Amino acid sequence: MMDSGFDRRDFLKVMGWSGAAVALSGCGNTSIEDGKETLVSYVEAVDYQIPGVGVYYNSSCAQCDAGCSINGKVREGRVLKLEGNPASAINRGKMCGLGQAGVQHHYNPDRLREPLLRNGGSGETITWEKAYALISEKLKGVSGEEIAFLSGVVSGHLKVLLGNYLSSLGSKNHFVYEALAPGVVRAANKKAYGVEMPRYNISKAKVVLSFGADFLGAWVSPVHFSQQYAQFRKGVDGQRGVLIQVEPKMTLTGANADRWVPIRPGTEGILALGIINALGIATGDIAAAVKGYDKARVSKETGVPPGHIDKIAAILKLRSPSLVLAGGAAEGYAHGSQNAAAINLLNHVLGNVGKTVEASAAVPFPQMAPAKGNTAALKSLNDGLAEGKYKVLFNYAANPVFTAPGAMKFKDNMAKAGFKVAFAHYMDETALQADLVLPLESALEDWGTQVPEYMAEGAQINILQPLMENVHPNTRSIGDILLALLKQSRAEEYKNYEDFYAYLRSALVQNKAALGGHAMDEDAFWNETLTKGIIKLVGTTAALSGKAGISGLKLPAPAEIDEQYPLQLIPSVNISLRDGRHTNQPWLQESPDPLTTIVWDSWMEIHPKKAAELGIVEGDIVEITSRIGSIKTQAYLFPGIHPDAISVPIGQGHEAMGRYAKGYGVNPLKIMDAVFDRETGELAMHETRVKVSKTGQRVIVVKDESAAGAKQIREKIAGRVYTDNVDLTKEV
Amino acid sequence: MHRFLRITVLLTGLFAAFSIYAAESQQSVPMTEDSLGPLVEQPIEFPHNRHAGDADKGGMQINCMYCHTYARRSAVAGIPPLQKCIGCHQSIESVRETPRIKKLFEYWEAKKAVPWKKVHDLPDFVRFNHERHIKRFIEQQNRPFQEVCGYCHGNVKEMTVARRSKGLTMGWCASCHQKDHTVVAEGGTPIGTQAYWYTFYKPEVEDASAGVLKAKGPNDCWRCHK
Repeated sequence: MMDSGFDRRDFLKVMGWSGAAVALSGCGNTSIEDGKETLVSYVEAVDYQIPGVGVYYNSSCAQCDAGCSINGKVREGRVLKLEGNPASAINRGKMCGLGQAGVQHHYNPDRLREPLLRNGGSGETITWEKAYALISEKLKGVSGEEIAFLSGVVSGHLKVLLGNYLSSLGSKNHFVYEALAPGVVRAANKKAYGVEMPRYNISKAKVVLSFGADFLGAWVSPVHFSQQYAQFRKGVDGQRGVLIQVEPKMTLTGANADRWVPIRPGTEGILALGIINALGIATGDIAAAVKGYDKARVSKETGVPPGHIDKIAAILKLRSPSLVLAGGAAEGYAHGSQNAAAINLLNHVLGNVGKTVEASAAVPFPQMAPAKGNTAALKSLNDGLAEGKYKVLFNYAANPVFTAPGAMKFKDNMAKAGFKVAFAHYMDETALQADLVLPLESALEDWGTQVPEYMAEGAQINILQPLMENVHPNTRSIGDILLALLKQSRAEEYKNYEDFYAYLRSALVQNKAALGGHAMDEDAFWNETLTKGIIKLVGTTAALSGKAGISGLKLPAPAEIDEQYPLQLIPSVNISLRDGRHTNQPWLQESPDPLTTIVWDSWMEIHPKKAAELGIVEGDIVEITSRIGSIKTQAYLFPGIHPDAISVPIGQGHEAMGRYAKGYGVNPLKIMDAVFDRETGELAMHETRVKVSKTGQRVIVVKDESAAGAKQIREKIAGRVYTDNVDLTKEV
Repeated sequence: MHRFLRITVLLTGLFAAFSIYAAESQQSVPMTEDSLGPLVEQPIEFPHNRHAGDADKGGMQINCMYCHTYARRSAVAGIPPLQKCIGCHQSIESVRETPRIKKLFEYWEAKKAVPWKKVHDLPDFVRFNHERHIKRFIEQQNRPFQEVCGYCHGNVKEMTVARRSKGLTMGWCASCHQKDHTVVAEGGTPIGTQAYWYTFYKPEVEDASAGVLKAKGPNDCWRCHK
């Protein structure tokens, strides 16, 4: 890399000698510098503020949508460290690495500080008043149908306010987009259980059979599931729970499983029906329908040895209740709904519904329930944009220019919208395409309420409150912005609310009787709410109503191998980077991927056998080509992946978003095909087929793992995978 | 060869540069127990003698911890908030028009903090805990506070603006911590493993039955070097 011939090693040598020179010449007590530093005292101090002693506030984590409650340490007016709030049933005082990095979102040097208006290729700083006036001007004469609002998940009072704003504009075009939402599983659950997200009781199950649900890593509510998992491993009645993970690419959950079963990508549903057949306990039309899925056929189609199918069926029969989960790896196909339905059917057949799959609680204020994000929303927005339907586009908490599959050409379509407003924390790829960019307060500076999609026990409303004053004084809360925009047309209705805080306080205090504060006066209720950071409610519980049905369930035969593009691309979900919105937090870049231990870069996982076939060794720069385009990254030989698939993690490959994100790695979504699930219209994440070729370059892969570590994991997996001689009950 | 030369030249140059820098840089005089620090110019020349001095010398005999209230509650002593100065001075008409008090009120009216200069500055890798020392000497042993604060800060009650009068080096810390302090069970003084905190070495048990230990300082580096 360096051409001067003066490399890092030489530099260190020189520095070492120079250090010795300093030591030899002997400098003594030079670090005591009396009278040089300035000590700034408070002008007015509050009693609880003692320099050097922390104060703690409860708030909520906004790093993902799980809705964990946090407790932040604040010293000298600065938030220093976040921990979990023990009072929350979701995370019970624990927190994940992603949540810990929340302070790096807050203090990030690349945060937007001023409202920016596009002026040719660059942004011009303008005032908030001018920005509001500009929005008002651009909305003049535009009908509601020509306005689109794209957002990530919103819930609580922000959702109510956003809804009111859109209705004031006469628009119904609210698109809620989450790149990694379990959209297909939700729809399948609705059919099978009557609710989109039931409560999964992992701790009560004796066997968990998970089809690609990475519940310890990045799926739905990982901190909560990890705690349930610990209980599950301690066991019910002294029997340690057995975890079987079926997926083509090993996830963190797969690495923790007693048995990791690699499966041909997309054939998860076939295996589920094969297991039902092997169980032999189904009756009626289910039994008739699965009759064809005998061991020999299922094994041939899925690549899972027949002995494995027997063993899985045997242990499911032996230990009840069990729990079967359908996750991201099973739903990412054009027949994803069918896969998920077949997997959910297993729960019915095993009698788990009502035992480990339970009804979940919901907040009794439906208007506050989260607007769940999915990818079907992106498609309809994208189609609308392509037709030039929208004159004004708002964007909040979504970065579709980065996360939309390359085949959708979202960036080009977005340009067709007349005026684009982005509410953003950073100049990310989508904000870069906007005409007006408005800087937002960080989650540690903002007010708000959150209603988590996945409720652990009873229903709860999470409170978001500022832990400290704004780092950048000219950033504003999204709530304040929406309120200001609402006042443009409904000034009379909102005149009592000076800011979002006033709105929030009044909305909660007015309903204090329903929120458990009937015996308290307003101030007492409000103070208690802020102190606790959570409002616990007696939620409404929707009973499970779905039936075990097989009608309409039709699984396609496994896809033929495409000669031109022989491999399946799995854009994997990294537990820290998720959909790439946190890539600019260096702690997360620095945390090694749990399975490969690679940092600060992308990689392609490929099975050693496949790699040998293609002549690829670790560190080879390979070109991955799909129908849409190609990316280049380093190869990593990984036995935890099906030989017919390769995997590249999502989250890297930013072209904007600041110094810690821009220019690291590649974005596999750029070469993704736009294939959709046939039933739900959700994006099929695993349907892209690719070919891999060497470029001739080779690098040293930067990772924590040693050669010995790699050998160990290889032996562990490879030694077990291809043998039929396994008895799960004896292993555990 | 070319590369070798380049490195050699660079190395020699850097060695020379660093050596000169280290030799030329201000060398502190080796500290003795009563070596004085430099006189530090403060935005307001605060008369400690007037506030804390003895009555016969015109002092008000105010307890150090009336103003330095954080010392007993935190690792850092802090500087009193401006509010505290004003709290008293707004009702002391006799000195209201003196230049220093006028300046004080200027800061107050502008709601600006006084940019005091730090006089007792430890290197960033040292963590001294005020609270712990006050607990030990004032609360447990009931020694006079001016004496206790004076162990490290000198005789502040006779100064105007504070001036460092102790070495504050590690060796100077050790000069106290290595004395054979007898730690007894009486009077609420902690014994047993807690005696480790006071000295640098593991305590020697003199007479276990009497609960007498000789303690020699924090026996872990990280007590101060966190």
